[in-house]
Amino acid sequence: MAVARTMRRTGPTTLLLATILALGFLFFVLTPSSSSAITDTGSVVSSQQREDAADNILSPPTKPFVKAQSVREDGHIAPPPVIHYNLNSLTSTSDSASMNERVLILTPLARFYQGFWDNVAKLNYPHELVSIGFIIPNTKDGNTAAAALEEAISKTQSGPIGSRFASISILRQDFEPPLQSQDEKERHKMTNQKERRESMSRARNSLVFTTLGPSTSWVLWLDSDIVETPNTLIQDLTSHNRPIIVPNCYQRYYNNDKKAMDTRPYDYNSWIDSPTAQALADSMEPDEILLEGYAELPTYRTLMALLADTANPNPRREISLDGVGGTALMVKADVHRDGAMFPAFPFYHLVETEGFAKMAKRLGYEAYGLPDYFVYHYNE
Amino acid sequence: MNRHHALSNGYAAYPRGQGSTFSISPHRSFQPRPQPALRRRRQLFQRLCLIGGISIFILILIFPSWRAAIIPSLSLGLFSATEDLQIQTVRYYDLSQVQGSGSGWEQEERVLMLTPLRDASSHLPMFFSHLRNLTYPHNLIDLAFLVSDSKDDTLGMLSRMLEEIQNDPDPSMPYGEISVIQKDFGQKVTQDVESRHGFAAQAGRRKLMAQARNWLLSATLRPTHSWVYWRDADVQTAPFTIIEDLMRHDKDVIVPNVWRPLPDWLGGEQPYDLNSWQESETALALAETLDEDAVIVEGYAEYATWRPHLAYLRDPYGDPDMEMELDGVGGVSILAKARVFRAGVHFPAFSFEKHAETEGFGKMAKRMGFSVIGLPHYTIWHLYEPSVDDLRHMEEMEEERLAREKEEKEEADRAQRVQTLFRDTKTEWEIDNAFVKDAMQEDQAARKASEPLKDDVKAAVETPIAKPVKPGMPVEQNDPRAPGAAKPQRSKDTIESQEIPAMKHAKERIDGTYGEKPKQ
Repeated sequence: MAVARTMRRTGPTTLLLATILALGFLFFVLTPSSSSAITDTGSVVSSQQREDAADNILSPPTKPFVKAQSVREDGHIAPPPVIHYNLNSLTSTSDSASMNERVLILTPLARFYQGFWDNVAKLNYPHELVSIGFIIPNTKDGNTAAAALEEAISKTQSGPIGSRFASISILRQDFEPPLQSQDEKERHKMTNQKERRESMSRARNSLVFTTLGPSTSWVLWLDSDIVETPNTLIQDLTSHNRPIIVPNCYQRYYNNDKKAMDTRPYDYNSWIDSPTAQALADSMEPDEILLEGYAELPTYRTLMALLADTANPNPRREISLDGVGGTALMVKADVHRDGAMFPAFPFYHLVETEGFAKMAKRLGYEAYGLPDYFVYHYNE
Repeated sequence: MNRHHALSNGYAAYPRGQGSTFSISPHRSFQPRPQPALRRRRQLFQRLCLIGGISIFILILIFPSWRAAIIPSLSLGLFSATEDLQIQTVRYYDLSQVQGSGSGWEQEERVLMLTPLRDASSHLPMFFSHLRNLTYPHNLIDLAFLVSDSKDDTLGMLSRMLEEIQNDPDPSMPYGEISVIQKDFGQKVTQDVESRHGFAAQAGRRKLMAQARNWLLSATLRPTHSWVYWRDADVQTAPFTIIEDLMRHDKDVIVPNVWRPLPDWLGGEQPYDLNSWQESETALALAETLDEDAVIVEGYAEYATWRPHLAYLRDPYGDPDMEMELDGVGGVSILAKARVFRAGVHFPAFSFEKHAETEGFGKMAKRMGFSVIGLPHYTIWHLYEPSVDDLRHMEEMEEERLAREKEEKEEADRAQRVQTLFRDTKTEWEIDNAFVKDAMQEDQAARKASEPLKDDVKAAVETPIAKPVKPGMPVEQNDPRAPGAAKPQRSKDTIESQEIPAMKHAKERIDGTYGEKPKQ
């Protein structure tokens, strides 16, 4: 009788359950290094996220917030708390990641490319220190882009906790873009440029002045058509510890002559000023702007796009610039806080990012470029 | 014992199957029926679960870092799902919903109220009394303060008063998001009054102030704001409905007229904010001649701009809704649509078209096509703080007053003494006289008992005749009014001689700048 009972206890179901449990224990015991490494960061991130999260929805958009609303003793919803921010202790240094400096990536988005988001998600700066802001025009194209973007975001933000970004804000523009067509040729027509870039300036300003939080140290402007950058983009750019720094923007294409993939310069807005351009600007009407990269207006400026040493690149080589492009642009948050913005009107005959460099210069900041450090633009 | 009949009536408890061969023994009939396997192993299950639970619990205690991995897998994702729901990381805003309209309080439009503070602890109680009285729905107003370079307890006091207002039992009292930002910009200009208000120091000071304003704005402007209201802490009197009053005009940038009350000897009141003006040809021509970094500061003799100032156009009985186009604005109280700031207009901390700070703000807003409006007859009153000159003058006045009082007192004393002396002599004289009279009367009574008629005539002559007084005539006509008469005379002089120092003081503000009234 007693023997039969023991036998009955070790039936197949019991054995299965015991094996699963034993395997589970073995799994945790035998793989301590890998599992604890993953879960360690996971738990650190989640606890940090909980700590970072603001108590109220009325909080800087660079912060995640706790949805549950606290209630006062008398039954009313508790008013938002008084929050102190000490901006004296806010740093922006060359050792950004280890100093836990927060980065805000800002992107004016007209079209959504999966390659862009994949590239952003691949950046290996600690994601819990990265907030992202998008501004999307209130048009039909904008709706399509917003829908695609939200889908991509929801995947990342519900994925592994370590790869989630601190917060993401999506803004819809409050004014109509002057040009309905985002077609490459139409977009680059010189007569359309002034209007287009002024509208772009307003979009950029709306984005930066509403999302720049009190704890942001760096602002990275990244265009929505930048599909390839080094994974260490943020660390590399901040390591120079410059108020404004811009990498060289190239484009990959199929070279029919060589029958192979090749690269070519794309962004010509990063330049060193020339006397010709100065003289040209002096002769202009106050409302005219000086554009770069158009044969009608030869400026003879030194273009960073053409200074790249592709044969023997030194990615840390710096040059001083007078105008910058906005395809990828790292700015210390202090520069924006002091008031440097993207002029939506001719400012010294410059608009948008070039005008921004000029305004920053008027505020006492210098702009630098990295001619041998490349980011790649989408090829249409 | 009857072993075959379970019941007393002779029937067996169990039907007999094969005749009498029913061979179930009584003890076997009470054995439990065969149980299902699960029920049989319940104990085993319980033990297994207990052991498993305890071991997991111990493991979690030993390796706290495993929690994140174990808990979600054990709870089949239920726990982590709730955690995800608690923290929201994605926010969606439509800026076309926050354009700002003329009736924001009905549209539930959020207002960001910004106040830069420096060494302002003495103004805070007054400022908070204004805050409590504002009629715009408090939950729609987000407050933001910048505390910079303060040596007094501005920060501590501010925090206490804000906590108090947020914990007010009245549910309509607490405000929305409240941010207190600390940032020291380094006082590049010394605080001593003469150098602070010197013409040369102005440009630097204005740029520093502009920087402070930009930091405050950029850190606290949110995509939810429709309006931004800049308000200085040292406003003494302003309508409680000021936000609605200014909003009603539905303009991009709008400022009221700013005056300040003065003591009577300075004329009672005075225009305060001279930074709200309309551009003039002279000023534009002047700007042409200046170098790139120069800043025109309004109100200094060095820059005679001949601009029409909002402050001087005030009529106390004028229509408070009257509007006036402006080019430069003062910073005491500015209501602007948030879209102006979103478009990039800010307080230039560099020379923008030869202007900085709030004046540059007005210029830049104009440049970007926004409307900039002033209300000449809608007035708020800035706090009067006596300047050094005023204090000196007040001291002199006090001394004069004391001297005058002393003099008056001496005069009164002398008069009293004289009077006392006079009365004394009179009394003595009367007493003496009385004795003499008595003696004489006795003599006369004795001597002239025989001549009564002659005496009667003499008495009639001596009777005093009433002095004729006309009732309508001012009795005090000759009353010495010297102090009273001299007072208006001197105060008139004072106004003339004090006007310039007083005007100078009008420009002595911690966060605004005012120069002398242009010599026109």
